[in-house]
Amino acid sequence: MKAAQFEHHEPTTVEEAVSLIESLDEPTILAGGQSLVPMMRFRLARPETVVDLNGIDELDYLQEADGYLKLGALARHADVEESSLIDRQYGSFADTAPLVADPQIRNRGTVVGSIAQSDPKGDWGTVLLAHEGEVVAHGPGGERTIPADEFFLLPYDNTLAEDELITEVRVPTSGDDEGSAYHKLKRKVGDYAMAGSAARVVLDGGRITDATVALTAVDITNVSVPDAADHLEGERPSGDLFKQAGELAAEHANPESDEHGSAEYKRNMVRVLTQRALADATERASNDGPAARYGTDQMAVGD
Amino acid sequence: MAEKDITLTVNGTDHELRVESRKLLVHAIREDLDLTGTHIGCDTGNCGACTVYKDGEAVKSCLLFAVQADGSEITTVEGMEDQPEAGMGNSDLHPIQEGFHEMHGLQCGYCTPGMIMAGKALLEENDDPTEHEIRENISGNLCRCTGYQNIVKSIEYAADVLNDREPPESPVEHEGASMETAPDGGVETDGGCTGPDLTREYPGGDQE
Repeated sequence: MKAAQFEHHEPTTVEEAVSLIESLDEPTILAGGQSLVPMMRFRLARPETVVDLNGIDELDYLQEADGYLKLGALARHADVEESSLIDRQYGSFADTAPLVADPQIRNRGTVVGSIAQSDPKGDWGTVLLAHEGEVVAHGPGGERTIPADEFFLLPYDNTLAEDELITEVRVPTSGDDEGSAYHKLKRKVGDYAMAGSAARVVLDGGRITDATVALTAVDITNVSVPDAADHLEGERPSGDLFKQAGELAAEHANPESDEHGSAEYKRNMVRVLTQRALADATERASNDGPAARYGTDQMAVGD
Repeated sequence: MAEKDITLTVNGTDHELRVESRKLLVHAIREDLDLTGTHIGCDTGNCGACTVYKDGEAVKSCLLFAVQADGSEITTVEGMEDQPEAGMGNSDLHPIQEGFHEMHGLQCGYCTPGMIMAGKALLEENDDPTEHEIRENISGNLCRCTGYQNIVKSIEYAADVLNDREPPESPVEHEGASMETAPDGGVETDGGCTGPDLTREYPGGDQE
């Protein structure tokens, strides 16, 4: 089906975009469009005006600055996948990017758009939670930052105001003693997660000084698991410790049975995925080098 | 109506179009430019039959409004024969096209234009990919006939041509193989199985 008629606006600066969003009647923001365009074609979305961000060059960046890893609203999944900075320092981002949809969609779709979409099956929200990141929003009143754990409300709903635009997501820079990983279970290549788990650990003198665990597709939003984090902090990493953290994550998860698997199965997978993510994150925290060298290569295939 | 004037450079030719904002790039290519080699398979962004090569990367042209492609350079399957690599093999075709022809990379052919464009995007980045890299790079393209084996071989064939290696011999019999009409009107092939004679005249076929 064709999308309903709409006016297409192409601002070239953030300022212009913000004033357009304020002046237009319920505009929809288009970045990568890999979810929005099909939604418009099925008329699940019928915006009368669309503000297309693709002409705003100042939003196209992926860089470390001011103590953060910053991704502008036009950073595509493929940019994350191809970044050597990500590969060296941000294992969870390096794990996630190639597991999102397929190559063509990764060339267009954006990380910020995925977070704005706030689909509980989306991967990036979980990574953002695991890194205790922030969403940077611009509105008529200026800029504000929303911590990841206050951002997601319901499926496809978040605390962004109607007249606000997400210009950036950012996470604190990852030091050499930090490691992270994301493990995803999906039915087939390119699918949404049936369950996913991101873990981040900071090691100091053989002990975990800081840790986070967050989950995909097992609750009404992406969720973090504070109980697991508390259990890990101050301890020496071990298989038993990760098993207990995995069990806490499974208890925290609230999956629903569907055509892909029972709630019981998904809960069990949360346990397994969390253990694996913690093991990979710890390995990466203890070693310097590309993410693929340490931890599990989830893109590997067998014969 | 919300309409816009856009310019698309498709296969090296500039086109000025007036399109509705809601028109998808694939519809502009097929309906306004009459380049029907780019297919629409699924209408949901899953199948990849509409893949085109836009500004140096493969994109699904059903997930992009035509107005978003204003000013971009696009290659579709129709433009493959005009690429610099065309003619490097044993024909005037692009090595990927020749690969699909030689290695039986298609059966119904519906997914083929998208597969070829995804293959082009891969080979532009890496002209000698592994089988695994090929499989990953066509993971956004669905084929319901071949089981993908021969599609992978077709792209490997193109990589052989691009790297000056002798590509494997085609498993497909081409013209030149002797065919004689069997008594029942079918064709006896070397393997002894019979198929229809597509040139035979049928009674009542010439209706006036």
